[in-house]
Amino acid sequence: MNKILYLLLIGLSILISCKDSEKEPADSVISKQWEFVREIKIDNISPTGLQIDGEYIWISDAKNNRVIKTDLDGSIVKEYQDIKRPMHLSLYNSTVYVPEYLTDKIKIIKGDEIEEYRLKEKPDAPAGVFVNDSLIAVVDFYNHRIILQGKDHITLIGNEGHKRGELYYPTDVALVNDKIYVADAYNNRVQVFDYKGNILKIIGEKDKINVATGIEVTNTNIFVTDFEGNRILIYDLDGKLIHIINEHLNKPTEISVSSNTMYVSNYGSGSVAMFYYR
Amino acid sequence: MKTVIKMILIIFLLGISSTLAQSSEVKVRVDGLSCPFCAYGLEKKFNDLNGVESINIDFEEGLVVLQVTDSENISEEEIRTKIEEAGFTPREIVFSRKNEKPDKDE
Repeated sequence: MNKILYLLLIGLSILISCKDSEKEPADSVISKQWEFVREIKIDNISPTGLQIDGEYIWISDAKNNRVIKTDLDGSIVKEYQDIKRPMHLSLYNSTVYVPEYLTDKIKIIKGDEIEEYRLKEKPDAPAGVFVNDSLIAVVDFYNHRIILQGKDHITLIGNEGHKRGELYYPTDVALVNDKIYVADAYNNRVQVFDYKGNILKIIGEKDKINVATGIEVTNTNIFVTDFEGNRILIYDLDGKLIHIINEHLNKPTEISVSSNTMYVSNYGSGSVAMFYYR
Repeated sequence: MKTVIKMILIIFLLGISSTLAQSSEVKVRVDGLSCPFCAYGLEKKFNDLNGVESINIDFEEGLVVLQVTDSENISEEEIRTKIEEAGFTPREIVFSRKNEKPDKDE
């Protein structure tokens, strides 16, 4: 009799422990989300683009025709002047790529030097740029297209319009896992293309985005700024909306994510908002 | 010698006053200037016009103020075209010379 009771007790305790272990991961998934941490104020700026670089932030200050590098408290540590209306930045291999909106040029900041990147196809108002190990993608705002330039080839992606695969005043671009993600700003959506220019997916079309100005893509998520709606929309890579942030944002233009931290340039308030994923 | 210096001074001052008299102001009102890509796009298009000396954008008021030289005779039509090229719908365009009553074109 004692033996039977003993076995029953062991069985019961195994059952309870199994139930608890099933619960844990579900709870941890639900509780983790992006939370506002603080606002980084910088005097007299209108940030149109930003990139996180370790303990520093690179910011395009379009109003003052300059790119600045600040620490995480907003103190300017470096300033690059006379860049005519800089827009969305790209950071690759310790080099900052800057689209110069008024001159149709891409400038390169490396250390103290500023050089010009040689584009084979001239854009009209480059609004954004993205660089990886073999390609540079330039957002050609007034020609409603993306210029994808490799070592010995150019692919022109998109043309003016509102249909699938057409763009209407695009402003930002990201190249991730052999796909091109475009902030199709005035079509209020994101479009995903392959490197040949074939349209693969439309994201956010039903989410009432009011000018999709900025895009950031990680290995798990797509982040989109809703400029007039003062929101950040976060999707999984299949395009499913999983989270919306609508606080501490004032005309957001660009997002930069580094591990569990997200930085957003608030054009309207001249500041950077910082969020943690926890 | 003094007379020569006086003459040079007079010619110099006359030159300055005539340059000032040749400068006009054009005020352009459009919707949607809150977006930097649009506002600076409009600035870019106006930069292409010959005779535009400076461009000032008032984001709050939705107003663009151009300083232009009279010698280039920039027309309302040229300005309207540039606004449309920049993706905006033209609204009010007002030409005025210094010390003159504004001349409303729309």
